[in-house]
Amino acid sequence: MDSEDDMHDAHDVESLDDDFYSGDTPMGSEDGDAEYDFVDNESEDSEDVTSHRQQQSYTILSVSDIRQRQEEDIHRVSTVLSISRVAACVLLRHYKWSVSRVHDEWFADEENVRKVVGLLEKPVEMPNARELPCGICFESYSSNEMTAAACGHPFCSACWRGYVGTAISDGPGCLMLRCPDPSCGVAVGEDMIRMLASDEDKQKYSRYLLRSYIEDNRKTKWCPAPGCEFAVEFVMGSSSYDVTCNCSYSFCWNCTEEAHRPVDCATVAKWILKNCAESENMNWILANSKPCPKCKRPIEKNQGCMHITCTPPCKFEFCWLCLGAWSEHGERTGGFYACNRYEAAKQEGAYDESERRREMAKNSLERYTHYYERWATNQSSRQKALADLHSMQNEKLEKLSDRQSQPESQLKFIIEAWLQIVECRRVLKWTYAYGYYLLENEYAKRQFFEYLQGEAEAGLERLHQCAEKELQVYLEAEAPTKDFNYFRTKLAGLTSVTRNYFENLVRALETGLRDVGPSGNQANANKNTSPKSLLGGKGGKSGKAKVIGTSSRSGDEAWTMATIGLASTAPTRTRGRQTCARCANSTGRFGLCCLLLCD
Amino acid sequence: MLDTSRVQKELAEGNRDTETSGVSIALHDGADLTHLSGTITGPVGTPYEGGVFVIDIRLPSGYPFEPPKMQFVTRVWHPNISSQNGAICLDILKDQWSPALTLKTALLSLQALLSAPAPDDPQDAVVAQQYLRDYQKFVGTARHWTETFAKSASVGMDEKVKKLVEMGFPEDAVRAVLEATKGDENMALEKLCSG
Ligand SMILES: [Zn+2]
Ligand SMILES: [Zn+2]
Ligand SMILES: [Zn+2]
Ligand SMILES: [Zn+2]
Ligand SMILES: [Zn+2]
Ligand SMILES: [Zn+2]
Repeated sequence: MDSEDDMHDAHDVESLDDDFYSGDTPMGSEDGDAEYDFVDNESEDSEDVTSHRQQQSYTILSVSDIRQRQEEDIHRVSTVLSISRVAACVLLRHYKWSVSRVHDEWFADEENVRKVVGLLEKPVEMPNARELPCGICFESYSSNEMTAAACGHPFCSACWRGYVGTAISDGPGCLMLRCPDPSCGVAVGEDMIRMLASDEDKQKYSRYLLRSYIEDNRKTKWCPAPGCEFAVEFVMGSSSYDVTCNCSYSFCWNCTEEAHRPVDCATVAKWILKNCAESENMNWILANSKPCPKCKRPIEKNQGCMHITCTPPCKFEFCWLCLGAWSEHGERTGGFYACNRYEAAKQEGAYDESERRREMAKNSLERYTHYYERWATNQSSRQKALADLHSMQNEKLEKLSDRQSQPESQLKFIIEAWLQIVECRRVLKWTYAYGYYLLENEYAKRQFFEYLQGEAEAGLERLHQCAEKELQVYLEAEAPTKDFNYFRTKLAGLTSVTRNYFENLVRALETGLRDVGPSGNQANANKNTSPKSLLGGKGGKSGKAKVIGTSSRSGDEAWTMATIGLASTAPTRTRGRQTCARCANSTGRFGLCCLLLCD
Repeated sequence: MLDTSRVQKELAEGNRDTETSGVSIALHDGADLTHLSGTITGPVGTPYEGGVFVIDIRLPSGYPFEPPKMQFVTRVWHPNISSQNGAICLDILKDQWSPALTLKTALLSLQALLSAPAPDDPQDAVVAQQYLRDYQKFVGTARHWTETFAKSASVGMDEKVKKLVEMGFPEDAVRAVLEATKGDENMALEKLCSG
């Protein structure tokens, strides 16, 4: 069958009307639909409820929840309209399980509804004769061997079974089955199916009925995770489409791709299409090994963060993404984190036409490669982080609690850090799809975007590295380490700081970077970057010696060096600088001076 | 699988009133009950009047619970029938099929389709466009096709044309000569060789 549409209904005027109710209307544009008892108490204008709203904007339904709701709806219709359960089910299926619409239509014009759906007011008896011809096989049978729907059109049992069986194996159209008589159109409901179908077909039918309840209803969808049986009911008009199923998969309710906030569905669709088209070119990116930029030996990436250290004796520290020295990532050398930016190779001198073309083609592939690699690598990094999170929850936390003599309740900050990493990898990944489509000529927007993305990414790399590598020391320790409290402060601090960076990034992208005018106002950029902190413009007196002094304690030179770098040597990059809330030192981007270093 | 007793009943029933209905059904090659051949006459007052249209019928194993597969063998110019391969766009041969329908009712529906084209749901976009934009021209083409392919003298014309073209004669010449000889292959061949 070509479509699931009710076959006998295709020419009804009613089906035109159906389109109005089918899922084509834009999100959030429906009003006065009172069929479910959602109470939206939250005021529309308050920003503070955003996170609260997100929790309230959907409900996860298990198979038994679905059956229960379906049964309740059928019962309601059957009670209100005083019709049989089977008839109520046929009606609801026809009107896409909208109880309110069934009521409206029925009370507006019951006769017409009955005609359209195929429900007779009074059943018609089969013709009163000893023998009756079957309308399908044309044989005659005694009337007690014949069966008919409410219309009384008799068919033999074998033909009924063939009819019902074929309809069920044809697909969900069987839910709208009608009497086989072409002039009739009376509904063949679940009672007939129970009587006539094989056990296997009955099960199929009941699965279709369940699926229909989710799939034909505008407010519900199945979770797209493979093998997952939960459905999601969504409150239209909610601020975010992202939902997280009970199976832990997060997806976009609107387009059912994996969750992609803050990037919009259209960009995601374009990006996925692009990836399919380029997949052959890009396979190599997904490879897990690259030659060390220094010693050329193949190095495998088996960790989540991008800070790679080559195996001894080389030990070269480099960035997985750009293969540049890690020491140059961050402000240490006076630049700020720039691994996220794509800079087209500067072309100099005159090119002939064909050379220029070749160069452009190369550039466009190169440009795509840049974004795709970062998108894909953050994806795999997220997978790794997810696995690490689970192993942390399932075994390592207990071990750590043991080694460090800390109650597990005191180790929640580690789980929080990992949850933050998983979420940030997802967001960061999608910002690369966003970046790819951000027009080259929107210079100010692009600059601001790359700045925010760079800040967020740099923060995430530090957080990820801390959770991944530094934690290892405490896990392996024989006895409680006195540094552990320091580690706690640092990881919790990095978690909260990274969260802030990503919140800024998400907010900026969701408002379409609109705070950046065509002139690329820096003050604007500043305000958005760190809305909660004071802007520090006082120069780099953050105590280099002090920081370096503490760096030996932290055991993370790269981190501390990077932190002071901005403050001390990057006068042109002061946008991201913050003032430490406690000591009023200007601290560089992390605003963590007191938390980690000033005490 | 296939309900052979029903097919046999349908064969008998289908040919009961051929004179008045203009519909006939026969086995395609005498033995295979799943491969039939139907004919319908072109409805009076349409560009198909006077033509006899041959329809190839294949019965799937699920017949009559699944619809029969029908296709025009005779070439026909009609918005809902492919001018290339005779494929038919008709709801009762697809999702509107009911096992209580028969081959005869299906053929009668095809006959009705010849009377009442549905250009908004076309099988052949070129024909449908012509039908909507230049109805007179459509009627002309449809009539010409009926004359050329569906008149009794020209039944099987295509096979003859194909045969002669394969011998190396140009198609235009072959058609002209076959028309002149009223479809007599031998005479046509003679003419072609001498001409
Ligand atoms: Zn029967
Ligand atoms: Zn009936
Ligand atoms: Zn799920
Ligand atoms: Zn989406
Ligand atoms: Zn190396
Ligand atoms: Zn890099």
